Amino acid sequence: MESNRLQGQQGGRKIVRVCVNIFQHNRVFILLAVFLASLPFWSRAVSRAIGIDLIYVMRMVGVFTIVAVGLNLLMGYAGQVSLGHGAFFGIGAYTSALFTVKVGFPVWLSIIAAVFMAALVGFLVAPVLRLKGHYLAMATLGLGIVAFVFFRELIWLTNGNDGIRSIPKLALPGIKITTRKGEYFFVWIVALIVLALCNNLVRSRVGRAIRALHQSEVAAEAMGIDVSRQKIKIFMLSTALGGLAGGIFAHLQGYISPGTFDVLLSIELVTMVVVGGMESIWGAVAGAGLIIFIPEIIKAVPKWLGEAPKWVERYSLYEGLVFGLILMLTMIFMPSGITKSLSDMIRYRRNPIHNPFRKKVVE
Amino acid sequence: MATATPELDGGVLLKANGLTKTFGGLAAVKNVSFEVREGMIKAIIGPNGAGKTTLYDILTGIYRPDEGSVLFNNREIVGLPTHEIAALGIARTFQTIRLFTGMTVMENVMVALHRRTSVGMLRSSLRFPSARREENWICKEALGYLEMVGLEMQAQNLAGGLPFGQQRLLEVARALATNPRLLLLDEPASGLNAYETSELGEIIYRIRDMGVTVILVEHDMGLVMRVSNEVMVLDYGEIIASGAPHEVRNDPKVIEAYLGSEVD
Repeated sequence: MESNRLQGQQGGRKIVRVCVNIFQHNRVFILLAVFLASLPFWSRAVSRAIGIDLIYVMRMVGVFTIVAVGLNLLMGYAGQVSLGHGAFFGIGAYTSALFTVKVGFPVWLSIIAAVFMAALVGFLVAPVLRLKGHYLAMATLGLGIVAFVFFRELIWLTNGNDGIRSIPKLALPGIKITTRKGEYFFVWIVALIVLALCNNLVRSRVGRAIRALHQSEVAAEAMGIDVSRQKIKIFMLSTALGGLAGGIFAHLQGYISPGTFDVLLSIELVTMVVVGGMESIWGAVAGAGLIIFIPEIIKAVPKWLGEAPKWVERYSLYEGLVFGLILMLTMIFMPSGITKSLSDMIRYRRNPIHNPFRKKVVE
Repeated sequence: MATATPELDGGVLLKANGLTKTFGGLAAVKNVSFEVREGMIKAIIGPNGAGKTTLYDILTGIYRPDEGSVLFNNREIVGLPTHEIAALGIARTFQTIRLFTGMTVMENVMVALHRRTSVGMLRSSLRFPSARREENWICKEALGYLEMVGLEMQAQNLAGGLPFGQQRLLEVARALATNPRLLLLDEPASGLNAYETSELGEIIYRIRDMGVTVILVEHDMGLVMRVSNEVMVLDYGEIIASGAPHEVRNDPKVIEAYLGSEVD
């Protein structure tokens, strides 16, 4: 009996150890978690001061972090461009919305359905991964456009341009999440789990395989890696994360229409990955944060100035221009993204020999 | 001669039969048949463009031959994808170095252990105990292969930053890490200095002593003559001579085609 209980205890401890292990080994992760947990305590004062509802915006940052991390696995690590990832975000959103509104599934189950639906569609279109470089970029761009047309024209299913209304709010079995703070915590807990798992993944056997095929497909094959299989797997993971984010997004918004999931969304997602930093899990957070906050800051300008200048009112007209410009400037001045450039700068301060800027001049 | 082991009674490991591959009417490899017995070091020589690398690409499944068959360990491998051939036990290095330049030296070798490990996406992302155990094994094993070629001090450096000679050695270590029965080396000594080349000779012996059969495509005749048991000469995609190194060296056809008047 005694030994049995001891074993039980050890088993319990083992489970705890496994759980701790999932999240260990990263300072950035802990800093981020502490920052996010503390945010609700000081957000109200700051929100009032700058005229941006931090909790409200940060929810969206969380949602887009999830897609951006998935896209970064595909683009940054595996080196496979996708200019149509908005499609999977949209598929997730529509799947979860339709399952709750038309079928009557509980919200959590619909979000899971959204994940599987996006992964399934990812699997069905995976043959595009045989294309390389520009061809893949063009094919995925087309994919985004096709999905947009489906959302708009499959009127019997999606209500076309009218969109889907009164989508239920987020809920877990037994818990209804009604407040914005609740939504904020839900979103970020999911996002942090996704971040931790992806961070573990890229440091593992599978992560090494996908980074290897990015650098030389021929060599990766010669090392015994089934390149096309690995590509499909990582693509499906990436689309599944798009679906997860889309599903959550639908329940945060309560209303979705095709206009949200157009080509510009896919471009925004790519911008998040590039600006944040390719091959960087934490870059996805930075990229999503930056891209989501920019329009909010522009919208907040009139509150600072007292009245809205015309260029603020018409922001939506040149939104694409702003993202395009950010993308260009990043590629020119910080091609490895903000997270890597910043960490390089810190390293330079500590040790001037590793001056990243001087290196660039020499090259 | 103190070169290679005299006893070569191993069974036939690789048997190529009538391999032909043409590119737009030009035969890169024409009706090539040969055998490789277990435990030997076989060299393939020939002028540039003689079809040596094409032959390697056929053996590793990158190209499919127009005609012919390749039996590896009594199994037909023509038509199998490259990664399956690698899994069966044929590893190679590349004449134009194809390291994973953005990864560390260590990671390059760790990638090659992919087929010998099995933890998938789910268990790696959750860092299951089995995943960490396997990761420890991968690290230990990878370090072993680096030590074998003398690169253990460079383990954490980026592969792309290594000097040329060490990049070649890393390719060898990476190929060995797949635990092959047959290793195809594609001009491993090109770009190496005399000292590095003699070191390479030692490493090739060590590989053979591990029980790995070696095929060596090489221009450095000194190295070929020193390490190989058997030499096969290709010219314009055809075998023009084959046999023990000293026989081949004195074959008038070979001298004409390849060695030219420099050998006497």
